Amino acid sequence: MKGTKLLTGAAVVMAGALALTGCSGGSDSSSSNGKVSMTLWQNSTTGPGQEFWKNAVAAFEKANPNVSIKVQSIQNEDLDGKLQTALNSGDAPDIFLQRGGGKMAAMVNAGQLMDITGKVSSETKKNISEGSFKAETYQDKVWAMPIAVLPGGLFYSQDLFKAAGITDAPKTIDDLNSDVTKLKATGVSPIALGAKDAWPAAHWFYWFALRECAGSTMEKTADSKSFSDGCWLKAAEDLQKFSETKPFNDGFLTTSAQQGAGSSAGLVANHQAAMELMGAWDPGVIASLTPDQKPLPDLGFYPFPEVSGGKGEPGSIMGGVDGYSCSVKAPKECADFLNFIAGTDQQEAYYKAFNAPPVNAEAQKVVTEPYLKDVLKAYNAAPYVSQWLDTVLGQNVGNALNVAVVDMLAGKSDPKQLIQAANDAAKKG
Amino acid sequence: MSNTRENTSTGILPTSELAQHGGSGAVASLPSGPRRRRRTGWAMRLEIALLAGPAALVFIAFVIFPVVIAAYYGFFRWQGYGPATDFIGLQNYITILEDSAFQQALWHNFLIVIGSLVLQGPVAILLALLLNRKMRGQSLIRVLIFVPYVIAEVVVGTGWSLMLATNGALNGMLKNLGLDFLVHDWLSDPNIAIWTLLAILTWKYVGFAVILFLAGLQGIPEELYEAAALDGASYWQIQRRIALPLLGPTLRIWAFLSIIGALQLFDLVYIIWGQYVASTAGTSTMATYMVANGRNAGNFGYGNAVAVVIFLISLIVALFYQRFVLRRDTAGAITGDRRTGRKNR
Repeated sequence: MKGTKLLTGAAVVMAGALALTGCSGGSDSSSSNGKVSMTLWQNSTTGPGQEFWKNAVAAFEKANPNVSIKVQSIQNEDLDGKLQTALNSGDAPDIFLQRGGGKMAAMVNAGQLMDITGKVSSETKKNISEGSFKAETYQDKVWAMPIAVLPGGLFYSQDLFKAAGITDAPKTIDDLNSDVTKLKATGVSPIALGAKDAWPAAHWFYWFALRECAGSTMEKTADSKSFSDGCWLKAAEDLQKFSETKPFNDGFLTTSAQQGAGSSAGLVANHQAAMELMGAWDPGVIASLTPDQKPLPDLGFYPFPEVSGGKGEPGSIMGGVDGYSCSVKAPKECADFLNFIAGTDQQEAYYKAFNAPPVNAEAQKVVTEPYLKDVLKAYNAAPYVSQWLDTVLGQNVGNALNVAVVDMLAGKSDPKQLIQAANDAAKKG
Repeated sequence: MSNTRENTSTGILPTSELAQHGGSGAVASLPSGPRRRRRTGWAMRLEIALLAGPAALVFIAFVIFPVVIAAYYGFFRWQGYGPATDFIGLQNYITILEDSAFQQALWHNFLIVIGSLVLQGPVAILLALLLNRKMRGQSLIRVLIFVPYVIAEVVVGTGWSLMLATNGALNGMLKNLGLDFLVHDWLSDPNIAIWTLLAILTWKYVGFAVILFLAGLQGIPEELYEAAALDGASYWQIQRRIALPLLGPTLRIWAFLSIIGALQLFDLVYIIWGQYVASTAGTSTMATYMVANGRNAGNFGYGNAVAVVIFLISLIVALFYQRFVLRRDTAGAITGDRRTGRKNR
């Protein structure tokens, strides 16, 4: 009696399970009648940024009537997690933002990206430097199309600097320290910091590390994930010493980087903080948060100050190259679209929409803003260029290090514990 | 049915029987009418399969299956790309239990469990007693108390994080009132943040407790109050000796729901403190630890192991509570009290 009941139940469950699996077919990106449809995930939520993608897709669809592309805008902080989930579930978007480094390597190793080495058009190759492609290369193959060069540095309000009696942008950390004191006297927050998102706080540590550590040391650590070289601890101590003067805005721990007027970019945009350390996407983000949603007129840029006695080459710069990848399952038209947005016209439109330096050399010529020119100048003169460290170190260690830096800035740990946390992360992954 | 023990211990007739006597709420306690005649085997089996099948299916697909899969992945070092191959036994579990960040998260969960019970319980009981009296504007007050519970967590989290920010509305108001000494970093100061969280939780969930208690109070028949009043009992004596004891089952169920909710707390913390800084601010819970060290770090094997640990902790707490606290309320339904069980079958 009991047995048959169980059997009946099991049969029902089995039938249902079959029905469930029957429904879970994948979504086809191309259909039989020659029409191709693709999805695109990008991280811009600002008005002009979304407009750029809409226009680019419309122009591409006009030139290729058989292609239709659906653009999906995903908030920057949500993008990585959603993308990984989508890639793992086999339901990935066809075209998506690629941050490079360890994350790209993991996607390549899992066979999730399309190899576009042979698909980069000769025109694209002519206009985009080899160095930019290097950031999208792994195991001698190109896995993404570079779209923008986004080196980091300090973006500041010239008006607030002037009001504090600062004439020249700081060149060393000592200069910066004395400028912080001057700015504090005028009642504004010297430096805005979006520590809620962790990585903006961690960038401070990464830049100190770039000044303290030789390039070869950083590359070695990227492989070994062991932070035993003394320069890492030195960088952590530098940052702790720098933060002891309380240069950051009040409540930086729960300040986000890009969302709303209370974010770090919003504080700079509304002249409540004098500067922030960011990548070159920052002018565009700041522009979207000013009261009139126009670029901040008095925005300036200076490279991260030098640290005396460091082993890093002076003038070294850190930054990313934003690229776009095709999913391995994407139709071949995906590569055409990547070449299309790397073209000079689209790159000029990109620069105007995002207020960020384009990767295309022809398009770079139309850049007029002095701060973007300064960014490009610092980038082109740099003796050593590193990717963002959290990208280089990979998701696990990068994530742990980001949080460890926040812990130290909040007074919860010290430099030694920061290095320990980075070393410990290896256990979990 | 099985209330004889409670009868003698409290000296009060059990709710269910009273309801029958009063004839008001038909609490289903006695078998209604003669038992249905047994139908032939197959028809009955088909009926059971049809009725229970969909629920069983959903339960297996979305509860049992994920738990089993999580337990499986918890034994691997797995980045979430491709199949899991790097078997490491119990290493993930050892790392979790040794990780001070997890111990802190567990401690925060414990604080939230206790804090929710201690703060919400008494407040909700007083509000329920108040609202149980006939008074003007009663339904308006009920709605106002219940509104926070109905608002989505995301809205609540965003709203509070804007108001409590360092330069937010609350600190602005305190400054304008000249109460500068009360101005704090409500969300960023690790010494304060957990209390801020508890205050928000109380505000949000007290409405739920009040509604439960009100329902419980409405189930207490009027006659008892009248009889007590005739015997000369004061208002507080009546509440203390009649309302509260008869509210017992409701209280115990509410406490159960509150404990489980507190153990699994995730959304409010995640929205107010974001993906990264909950542990720094001292408001991390086991669930935010799981997301931070599982998904954000890309260590899906480790994250699954954390999920299993949370599941086991919740399960143990739930079983203990049912065994020792809820037993008399749910006798026969969940714990399978043998005495009544035999009588029914």
